Amino acid sequence: MMDHGNDFSNWLDPDTSLKIFKCLDDPADLVRVSCVSRTWRDFVVENGLSKQLCLRMFPQLSRVACVVELNQNGVKGHAEVGSSRSMESLALWKDHRVFSYFARFCLSPIAMDCIAKAICASSTDNFPQESIDQTLEERDNIAGRFSYWSSSGQSNPNVPETLTYQLASQICIIKEINIQPFQAHFQMGSPIYSAKSVRFKMGHLKASLNDLSDEMFVWTYTSPEFPMAQENRLQKFILPEPVLCIGGILQVELLERVQRQEMDGLLYIWCVSSLCFSCSSSGDPVVTSIYC
Amino acid sequence: MAEEKSQASSSKMLTLKASDGVLFEVELNIAKEMKTVQAYIDDCEDIETIPIPNVLGKHLAIVIEYIKKTNEEYDAEFEKQWNMDDLQLLLLAANYLNISGLQECLCKAIAKRIENKSPEYVRKVFNIENDHSPEEEAKLRKEYKWAFEGVDKD
Repeated sequence: MMDHGNDFSNWLDPDTSLKIFKCLDDPADLVRVSCVSRTWRDFVVENGLSKQLCLRMFPQLSRVACVVELNQNGVKGHAEVGSSRSMESLALWKDHRVFSYFARFCLSPIAMDCIAKAICASSTDNFPQESIDQTLEERDNIAGRFSYWSSSGQSNPNVPETLTYQLASQICIIKEINIQPFQAHFQMGSPIYSAKSVRFKMGHLKASLNDLSDEMFVWTYTSPEFPMAQENRLQKFILPEPVLCIGGILQVELLERVQRQEMDGLLYIWCVSSLCFSCSSSGDPVVTSIYC
Repeated sequence: MAEEKSQASSSKMLTLKASDGVLFEVELNIAKEMKTVQAYIDDCEDIETIPIPNVLGKHLAIVIEYIKKTNEEYDAEFEKQWNMDDLQLLLLAANYLNISGLQECLCKAIAKRIENKSPEYVRKVFNIENDHSPEEEAKLRKEYKWAFEGVDKD
């Protein structure tokens, strides 16, 4: 007669038990595991397994300094009075709750365009007709009027341009960004004013600005460079891994100008629209408030 | 000349003696995958028989076969064959003998038996007593309702 297998947290050393639990990639598994017994629950919480799972999914989280848990009314929770747990233990339990929910969010697929508004462009040729706001409109022609953003002209092809946007939520997971360059049918030869390559940055507003010349944003993620096609179509740029953007700022960096405008001999970049696809954005009041 | 010498050393055989007395003759390069055995050899170069007091012959045979055959395909099939008792003893053996590839493979195997299963099932498979109070468990299940949906049937 064979014995049934035993609770491995009893007969294995903690490091090996940890190795087993770390193989679990689904936050729901970690929650169910903590329901099995008090010992397993304590093991999951005290080893910060939910937080570690989130860090594996999104290395960008390593920049997070601390997490504040809000209750259902959106108010910061307080430690229970007379709680027998130490401060460290309370912090571990809070982390466990917050990161369990967070991990769950990150896996729920709600695809949406998450650019809420345009913040600024590095340059604009004719303001406001050719401003960055035109890129929020998918169509390149509205009631007979062309809708696109134009950079200012440069003789040096290596002067980059940036388009900076605010996302729909402070916490977003971005999987892909779509951009369509503009084809000027009203010019001879119908030139397409694309860029040679594009790169994306994500981050948040700087906490304090000492003087106006300071860079306004802190970038927590920079994507690899993607080559851009010289074609008038919506071009998809899929990030190598879904990226967690904390702070809600996305910047499109257009590198190397390609198209010269015949009229003035300068190189321009013109863009019809920018779309940014997220797989979920956090709206749950229980989780929020992340300080970087 | 140099070639012959290296050939000779790589085909040197070693004997491993399991806890129940079963003897296994293995090539040196196979034995060296077990870091514990490697340490033994480093300490006493001339040794021919190494005792493995913590591992039964049955499991040592499986471990040796694993080392010889391990690759992605083999590993994927390997973990399916064993019941919890054997997994348990094999993992203890892998830990004692310090074979990182086998440790990883077995940890994944045990994790697979937890994935997407209900707590009741996991308790049964690992023979774990539920020491949550009914109120505690009810609270957990309510708070994390989402985690208890779509679980594999027991």
